[in-house]
Amino acid sequence: MKRVLLVALLLVGVTFVLSPFAEAGSKKDGRPDGGTLNYGEYGRPATLDPITSNEMISLRITELVFNGLVGINEKQEIVPELAERWEMSKDGRTYTFFLRKDVTWHAREGEEAKPFTADDVIFTYKIMMHPKTITPLKVRYEFIDTVEKLDDYTVRFTLKRPILNALAKFSFKIIPRHGPANPLYLTREDPFVQNPIGTGPYILKNITADREIVLTANDNYFKGRPHIDKFVAKPFADQNIMTQALMFNAIDMIVLVNPRDIPEIQGDKRFVLQPYNALSYSFFGYNMRNPLLADKRVRQAFTYAVNRQEMLDSFFNGQGTIISGPFAPGSWAYNLEVQPYPFDPEKAKSLLRDAGFTPGPDGIMQKGGKKLSFTLKVPIEKESEAVKRVVLAFKNYLKNIGVDVNVAFEEWQAWKEDVFLEHDFDIVFASWVFDDSADISSLFHSAEIGPWKNNFIGYSNPEVDSLIVESKLTLDHEKRRTINRKLHAILADENPYTFLWTLTNYAAYNKKVRHVAIHPYKFFSFADEWFMAEKDQN
Amino acid sequence: MKYLACVFLIFIFAPSFAYSADDPVMRAMKLYEKRHYEEAAAALRPELPSMGQSRQGAAHLMLGMIYMKSAELYRELYQESLSASQDYYKKLSAARGQSRSRFVDLYMGEALIEAGKPGAAAVYLEKFAADEGISPMYRALAKADLGLCHYLSNDKQKAETLWNEIDTTDPEVSVQLASIFGRVGRKDKNPVALCELSLREAKKSRKSPSIRMVKNIISVYVRAGLTDKGLDLLKHADARAYSYREVLGKSKVINFYDPSLLGDLSMLYGQACLAHLEKAAADATVRDPAEYYLGEAYALFGSIDLSAKVTASFIAASRMPQQYKDRIRVWQAADQYQKGRQTDAVGIWDELSRKQQLDPDLLAEILLACARVRAECPMIVKRAENVVESGEGKKLYALNFALGKYYLAKKNQSKAMSCMEAGRDKSNKNKIESNDPLMLVDLAGLYYRNKKFSEALEIYFDMSKQFPAVRQIQETMQGVYAMEQKSAGDVKIF
Repeated sequence: MKRVLLVALLLVGVTFVLSPFAEAGSKKDGRPDGGTLNYGEYGRPATLDPITSNEMISLRITELVFNGLVGINEKQEIVPELAERWEMSKDGRTYTFFLRKDVTWHAREGEEAKPFTADDVIFTYKIMMHPKTITPLKVRYEFIDTVEKLDDYTVRFTLKRPILNALAKFSFKIIPRHGPANPLYLTREDPFVQNPIGTGPYILKNITADREIVLTANDNYFKGRPHIDKFVAKPFADQNIMTQALMFNAIDMIVLVNPRDIPEIQGDKRFVLQPYNALSYSFFGYNMRNPLLADKRVRQAFTYAVNRQEMLDSFFNGQGTIISGPFAPGSWAYNLEVQPYPFDPEKAKSLLRDAGFTPGPDGIMQKGGKKLSFTLKVPIEKESEAVKRVVLAFKNYLKNIGVDVNVAFEEWQAWKEDVFLEHDFDIVFASWVFDDSADISSLFHSAEIGPWKNNFIGYSNPEVDSLIVESKLTLDHEKRRTINRKLHAILADENPYTFLWTLTNYAAYNKKVRHVAIHPYKFFSFADEWFMAEKDQN
Repeated sequence: MKYLACVFLIFIFAPSFAYSADDPVMRAMKLYEKRHYEEAAAALRPELPSMGQSRQGAAHLMLGMIYMKSAELYRELYQESLSASQDYYKKLSAARGQSRSRFVDLYMGEALIEAGKPGAAAVYLEKFAADEGISPMYRALAKADLGLCHYLSNDKQKAETLWNEIDTTDPEVSVQLASIFGRVGRKDKNPVALCELSLREAKKSRKSPSIRMVKNIISVYVRAGLTDKGLDLLKHADARAYSYREVLGKSKVINFYDPSLLGDLSMLYGQACLAHLEKAAADATVRDPAEYYLGEAYALFGSIDLSAKVTASFIAASRMPQQYKDRIRVWQAADQYQKGRQTDAVGIWDELSRKQQLDPDLLAEILLACARVRAECPMIVKRAENVVESGEGKKLYALNFALGKYYLAKKNQSKAMSCMEAGRDKSNKNKIESNDPLMLVDLAGLYYRNKKFSEALEIYFDMSKQFPAVRQIQETMQGVYAMEQKSAGDVKIF
């Protein structure tokens, strides 16, 4: 008996030692390895870790570098990633994850690769939830009560209450315990956020002097080495130049094509245009801390004053759809009964009069000596020709109803600090991108007002708060849907933003990149399967 | 593709048109070109009685073409709605507990009848009818449907017994029964009179008929051949309306819709199409183009025999250019295929595809015919793929769509999707003015089945601006999406 046990233990031991090597290496799917994929991004990411970042460029990078406990495949099924299996208690409150034993962290220069264990999972959760960690993720994970390590490869999460789609929420990316310099909380000053290591298919190699982000294939990736040797994210300040770079083969892929360039790319047989990411929209957001903008009638007046269809047609060739509320038309939560405000400058003027404003000697509406004069802040990276026209048109539309707008273009990081940290703005122009959960809690719940939080406009409405909470608590899909429709109607009326439009979103890539599947939100989720034929690898 | 041809045809063969922008036919044609079919029909139909004799033929031709497109579109929408509704109701009906929908049983039952599954439908309808909490009117509606299930399952006696027990005082119930009588061919029950009576009652009480009533009455009118009455009724109806709103507490409201409305609309438009094209074909000034369309319309909404007769007459006598004769030979071959002469049909398509390799629209027409009759056409597909591979993008939209349609018929979804994506005008990806709405509906269906819900919903969002009846598909797909979506709840600044 003892002998059998010894043999069994030896076998287990061997498996532990060999499994990373047994699993790693080529995918053995007959597709060739090799080649470099250069892709164009409109702007540069501020951070490269999955916790502090709040922008899409970072999200795409982190998708290549990190893994979650679970993933979601193209068929919307939850699939194993770092957890090879899991168990859920009958009451839906306890989730036990059994981790893969063949995963190692990307090795830092001169160091041995360290194994991924339950400690890393616990560490990630704790650092994410630490009060001093600046992250938009906290609000999403407040439903977790405790996390405990059962052994090196088993962790158990206990929820405060059962929630809808709980398993999917465990797709958050795991970072290594030995990663951040500060093991308690993560800030944007920590070197890890600029030089992260993960378990994913690609390893961050370096950031060049031109701010290109170079990632190389992880030979030890637990799903098998990705086919393409190298991914290079190239930042562009101008979308037109990015398109030309694609046309002249300087890059192989654009993650988001400028709508104006679609016809040019569509007419060229070298490229594939693929739609994705229908869940985004642009808006003008109003800072509620400004007492003038705290009046709903003023905000509504602004929306009536702008001709959104004219802007869409003139500046984006009509390639988009006007929206009426806080969800994109492709969302399950969009309330189809709510119509966008029509363009009606007279109604806008009447609302301002109702709010007590009268024209001053300079033609600007005023009340009690306070003028309707505001600063509109726009990040410089978004200073594309179309966006510039949009904000200038907005200024002119508002001028027609006696409102003065000063447009200020700011460098991306400065803009983010003014908007997210200092809240030093009256109006912003920006866009949100959603995954398909239609979760607007971080945007409009009053608990999300604060530094680096998404409710930067400071919107607070007890009814909205209560509906958001009710939506999160319910286990009934139809109830959640009804609540979201109500939220849509209330926010359309309250008008914390002038909801603008959702644009035509296409990625474009050279046909030499094969077997391309694009995740509608995270983009690179399936990139380890992409490949290039040997003849196309140079 | 075809609409471009029609513009050409009308200019060639209808010299009597007044070419001013105010001309109702020209106005309708412009709307038709933009695929605003409902607006086009609404602009032209009321003008018809006051138009001079010389323009009647052209107007009928135009209306026939408009209704043909509408009928094809609504047939496709009906299929999509029926499929999505069953998915949605199945998920809803799986719920347990006090907040479970009661009405899902009624609507699932009705959807299953439409899907040709009366046995399965009866189970849901019996459950609904047995629920003590529902109103007598809805119980009566369910019993009427249940009778239909028995009838369709060849238990006519049981059906009669159930129908005879129903109190028909309520006009909703009365027209529901009328619709069922119309459907099973019970002329002795005079379904039209039942509908007229109910409409009079509704008018007396100054109530607009509900969308359920409208749907049922249209169904009766269609089967009685009262096309104009159906179109008149539709003019005043809100096709966006839900059939029933179930309120399950303050925070749970479910809207239910009838997919059969879309099917009935398709039949109504199909009949209108035939009626107008037949009138146009009787007018010498537009006979050729009218027969050109009539040949296809008969095959789609009427009889293969009539289609064969018209196409033969067109080929023999028409003065139209050869390219139009070639197209009509494609449809003629499709008729032959359906009549069991598969080898002849495939031979004709093969010959035409060789002869006209440089005409991608003809190749597209052949592929669409192959898809419609579910024929195997591998050689033609190969030729089409070669043309697509070597040709220029925009000119090949129609051929890409046809290839997609062919693969869809073969249930090869990934190929169908990539072909249709290739055939989509990406600058205006969801605009019906730039993309055939039929293609958009197929593409949305493919996205839906492949769980790319937001792409599908975006298409319908745009389409709903012109075709309000698609609201039912939007709401249903939203319901499925809400239950299927799996993600962590992320939102990021662009």
